[in-house]
Amino acid sequence: MVLTRLESPPVIALLAAIGLFLCSLANALSRATLAPSPLIYWIGLLVIALPIFFRLSSAEPSYRERLGLILLLGLALYCVKVVHDGIFFTFSDEYVHAFNVHNIEKYNHLYHFNPGIQTTPYYPGLEGATSALTMLSGTSIYVSGTILVGAARLTFMAALFFLFARLSGSARGAGIGVAIYAGSSNFLFWGAQFSYESLSLPLLVVVLMAFVEREEATEQARAAWAVPMVLGILAIAITHHLSSYALALIFVALAVLYRVMKIDKPNPWPFAVLSVGVALGWLLIAARSTTGYLFPVLEEAVKAIWKTASGESAPRTLFHQASTSAETVASTPLAARAIALLAVAVLALGAFVGLRQVWRLERGKPMVLLFCAGAVAFFAALALRFAPAAWETGNRAGGYFFIGLAFVCIYGAAELLRRGPSLMRRRLLLSGALGIVLVGGAISGWPWDIQLARPLQASADGRDIDSDSLALAEFARKRLDGSRFAAPESDARLLLTPGNQIAYSGQGPDIEDIVDQPTLESWQLPLLQEYHLPFVVADRRTLSEDTLRGAYFPVRGQYGNEQREKGVIHKFAHIPAGRVWQSGRIVLFNLRDRP
Amino acid sequence: MRGQRDLQWACLAAVACALVAALVPLEAVRLIAALPLALFLPGYAVIAAAFGSSELAPPKRLALSVATSLSLLALGTFVLNIFPFGLTTASWAVLLPLIVIAACRGAAVRRGRPAVSGESRSASLPRPAFASVALGALALAITVAAVALAQKPLPADDAVGFTALWMLPTDSREDAVAVGVTSSQHHPTSYRLEVSLGKNQSKTYRVHLDPGEERAIELAVPPRPGGRTHVVASLYRKAEPQKLYRRVTSWLPRQKTFP
Repeated sequence: MVLTRLESPPVIALLAAIGLFLCSLANALSRATLAPSPLIYWIGLLVIALPIFFRLSSAEPSYRERLGLILLLGLALYCVKVVHDGIFFTFSDEYVHAFNVHNIEKYNHLYHFNPGIQTTPYYPGLEGATSALTMLSGTSIYVSGTILVGAARLTFMAALFFLFARLSGSARGAGIGVAIYAGSSNFLFWGAQFSYESLSLPLLVVVLMAFVEREEATEQARAAWAVPMVLGILAIAITHHLSSYALALIFVALAVLYRVMKIDKPNPWPFAVLSVGVALGWLLIAARSTTGYLFPVLEEAVKAIWKTASGESAPRTLFHQASTSAETVASTPLAARAIALLAVAVLALGAFVGLRQVWRLERGKPMVLLFCAGAVAFFAALALRFAPAAWETGNRAGGYFFIGLAFVCIYGAAELLRRGPSLMRRRLLLSGALGIVLVGGAISGWPWDIQLARPLQASADGRDIDSDSLALAEFARKRLDGSRFAAPESDARLLLTPGNQIAYSGQGPDIEDIVDQPTLESWQLPLLQEYHLPFVVADRRTLSEDTLRGAYFPVRGQYGNEQREKGVIHKFAHIPAGRVWQSGRIVLFNLRDRP
Repeated sequence: MRGQRDLQWACLAAVACALVAALVPLEAVRLIAALPLALFLPGYAVIAAAFGSSELAPPKRLALSVATSLSLLALGTFVLNIFPFGLTTASWAVLLPLIVIAACRGAAVRRGRPAVSGESRSASLPRPAFASVALGALALAITVAAVALAQKPLPADDAVGFTALWMLPTDSREDAVAVGVTSSQHHPTSYRLEVSLGKNQSKTYRVHLDPGEERAIELAVPPRPGGRTHVVASLYRKAEPQKLYRRVTSWLPRQKTFP
């Protein structure tokens, strides 16, 4: 009786809300520099998810209840990201995309230059959609972007559920499959940020869902299902490069499989031609800079794999995320590493059992075969995490492969939930395993030391005070309309949004050395002149090049408070050049302000 | 569209939402109107046109409506960009209702004349129990509290505060400067601000700032014949009056070239 009540949807919704509040509380305590136990956060995450997992493992819920549960899961976990940082975009790519929205609003047209990631203005799907909502509602880019990505996230959950339900023929399996996908390392934070993939991946899943529905539809309804597919394919092509290439590959593979397997249904080659055509067409006509953005990354990844495999370079240490002060970044605790590795083991077990069942039952379905290949490829992509320059490629690819893995694992879960004695214990075991997969994915998908929020704004005597980087960005927004800056990465991102300035950083051009080196080399001023960058941000904080950690207040007793040599500031003062803004740790110079 | 009540409602809602979004100055009201206009109605109409009289389960229709709306927003961006007026509130407020009306018209044609039936097609939903409503309301309240907590800046005593000093010409003529002091300290602080304008002129100010407060002073810059006036603003803390705390400098009028 008690269990029945605990499993009712309103109670599960209440528990999800309580879990979300615990996550928000842990983040709030962390922002207040009170060093809360991370356990509050992880318990909150499990309070959200475990009741949903347990209910999904039951045979009782209806199709609609399962759909409601996975929507609740998607919404609650999305809110975990939303409560991470309150009223600001703080993930490194979010600043870049928000700047594109700002440009669309400012110029009323697309394709305006973005120094953060120069290829992003040429994939304006997310930003254009957000600007529509911003213009129509009058709300901020943050509010509109958060709502839009939230809508995309709910669409993703529903479409994945429909896709899995249609392919597996089981709503119970579909619900469990979507729950497994929530354990993808990119799900909790990366895939929920305001970035183009957060829209394109849901659209990709919608296209796949519409495709499998179309396969089962009557002759009359087939044309109808083609409409959301075609619209989705076109929208993905102008939203995100990798998603459009992934979709093209999927349809080409499906067309080949339909031909080879002599499937007694229309070959999907028209969709393959369309998806390849629009992806290539957009690349060649509008987004040529994509090649210069993507290929070097892939080339470096291949080189890194080769070097690591041949022993030429040491393998990357797991759980150490990229940071400019790697030696000081708090390493992931042993228990957390164990959970992340256990999650991989659980997935491997589920995939092993599931693959056997899928092969036995469903190998006549081309889409299922693709998912099996995706499941195997996921574990191959895990190996890329050992290669220093390839781990990000592996991590990003994993988000796509995980769809296949989640589907295959449904069949592994079904083996566990077969009718028989001690079903309740097996349901508990499955829920626990899903909890491990969720927490393990979250641990491996985001650096341990920034799972909880940091103070970007704080309150003092009833007023709000800003961190150095945010204060500089706000100063620039109010008083330096559309100026051009050279800055360390984290400062540059905030100067983009909310600063609304043109801010260069990084290595292409080599701004990083200009702002980080203590001496002024002969090439540095000509480079700044070539790119018309009169404003230079000299930042003594070593974390200033770290886009995930550099925007926040330094916290007493916390790592990362080391400073660069005074030369990073003095070299510009000695030119001499005018000092426009100074906070102690950061000085803003204007190179056109001279004697 | 006669007899197709859902399509009629969709068209009316799209026009009404567009008018509210374009004309009403209240942000909250505009948001309520903009959400269905941008994220639901265009997709609903297009899916209705695509499926015509074919059956589509309501959950899938709902999900496809949102997904198709998202696709249409992305593609609409591309379309509006072609026109000289581009992406504006007005162009979106026209385009989206146009899509809805055109697609609803297509849907009505594809559905044909509705079957006359004495029975109502709308199935009544089961009335939720009081306990379910109460638990749902409590869950919603806790969620709102969680989001509100995330949006509230909190005291962070271990965060290292600072005070920023800045200086900029007040306008393009550059015959005056604004010197500002902004406090991101945790407590009220007092400073002495010294501004030297060229070799002969100097001014001193006492500045007391609460946390988060900014104080800006405007000063005329005396012209220096045949050269630039060196303006230096120096900030000293009251607790350490001899130790320079912040300094900003400028040579006015500024040069237009790089060093």
